[in-house]
Amino acid sequence: MEGMSFEEALRQLEDILAMLESGELELEQSLRLFQSGMELSVYCQQMLKQAEGRIQQLTQKPDGEILLLEIDVKESE
Amino acid sequence: MQEFITVSELNNYIGGLLEGDLFLSNFWLKGELSGFKLYQQSGHMYFNLKDTDSLISCVMFKSRARGLAFKPEDGMEVLLRGTVSVFARQGKYQVYAEEMLPFGAGGLYLQLEKTKAKLQALGYFDPEHKQPLPRMVNRLGIVTSQDGAALRDILKVVRQRHALIDVVLVHSSVQGLEAPQELARGIELLNQQDSVDLIIVGRGGGSLEDLMAFNSEEVVRAIYQSHIPIISAVGHEVDYTLADLAADIRAATPTHAAQIAVPDVEGILNALAIYQQRMQRAIEKKLGYNSERLDRIMMRKIWSQPGIMIESRQKQVEVLEKGLRLAMSSGMQVRGQRLALAVTALDKLSPLKVLSRGYAIASKDGTVIHSSEQVEPGDQIDVTLYEGRLKVRVESKEGNPWKA
Repeated sequence: MEGMSFEEALRQLEDILAMLESGELELEQSLRLFQSGMELSVYCQQMLKQAEGRIQQLTQKPDGEILLLEIDVKESE
Repeated sequence: MQEFITVSELNNYIGGLLEGDLFLSNFWLKGELSGFKLYQQSGHMYFNLKDTDSLISCVMFKSRARGLAFKPEDGMEVLLRGTVSVFARQGKYQVYAEEMLPFGAGGLYLQLEKTKAKLQALGYFDPEHKQPLPRMVNRLGIVTSQDGAALRDILKVVRQRHALIDVVLVHSSVQGLEAPQELARGIELLNQQDSVDLIIVGRGGGSLEDLMAFNSEEVVRAIYQSHIPIISAVGHEVDYTLADLAADIRAATPTHAAQIAVPDVEGILNALAIYQQRMQRAIEKKLGYNSERLDRIMMRKIWSQPGIMIESRQKQVEVLEKGLRLAMSSGMQVRGQRLALAVTALDKLSPLKVLSRGYAIASKDGTVIHSSEQVEPGDQIDVTLYEGRLKVRVESKEGNPWKA
């Protein structure tokens, strides 16, 4: 699951949910999917909490060097 | 010896005459651009204006050129406002342009329509090319002016929603001659870095002239080529900019763009919680169905003496089978069918059938164990298998794995 995008994880979770709710699977398969589904939902929750709310500025200097710096933008009225 | 003056003095004298002339200090001039040159280092523009019979050289300094709403090209008919003065170093008089516009009724609109037709033909506005927006944005890229209202409006929405997202700004001018290149470069830079999930490109409202950068080929191409989805957010009075047509989603204002882009984290967390509940319900239903089947068998207490029960069931089945054969052979079709149904039903109920699929019955002191709470580590329990029974000692226990 490591490196999976949020979109992909959420899509898989929704697929699993649909399969589980169809009720057409063998018990063993249901349990396996349930396990993966729970792991995916925890993964999604973690991803939501990953960003830190930073504001950064990306600039490229004339010599091609790329800088990413934290900036402070004043609240507007 | 004759009286004489120096070259400098003559040029200065002529310059003084020209500069003293009221008409030459402010006039509008129409002509066709030729020999246009933009000096990258200084940012000044040098060109000639001509008509069929005549030509005059012109210069537009960087400070004035910055406000241009279009990209001058040779052959273009323009109208410029300026003054005439002498460039003493070359003994040359020239027009110093203050402002310049494409000539003709709606010159800008004409130019816009021309660019639009060209880019449309290239497929830059094709709906099939549009990318879906991600539902979750962890890092948001913004290409706009660091001093503009657009940036502040977007950040305001981010703060209002208490969304913990990272914002990556690439500063760019949003009007003037350099704006198209800078905006396009900003989009390309974010694509190169590939660290943001979505890009907002925009600025606050303005006149058509102010917004011309968003109608430029450079910006439209950069939007088209971006592999990161883009929301255009140009606050404007006119119907559209070409950037809007090329973007994956067009927002009417930067605030609106932010509302689309910034995830409603609370909402997504709620949705995830509901997904978890629904999965639990689905699995409980599945388990419930199976354990009910098992319970029905348990009620008969066969787990304590499975051998006897199984034997007696087998005997019943044998008897029924005999009867079935008899019924079938004696042509008693109806009775035969009913018997066949009964045999199938019994067979389904048979604990052997359930156990043969790998299920086992755990019991302690004759009581079936439903929950890990019924036992303690160290307890000895019985496990009845399809074939044989086990005496097992509990090593450790865990709660219900489904109730995280």
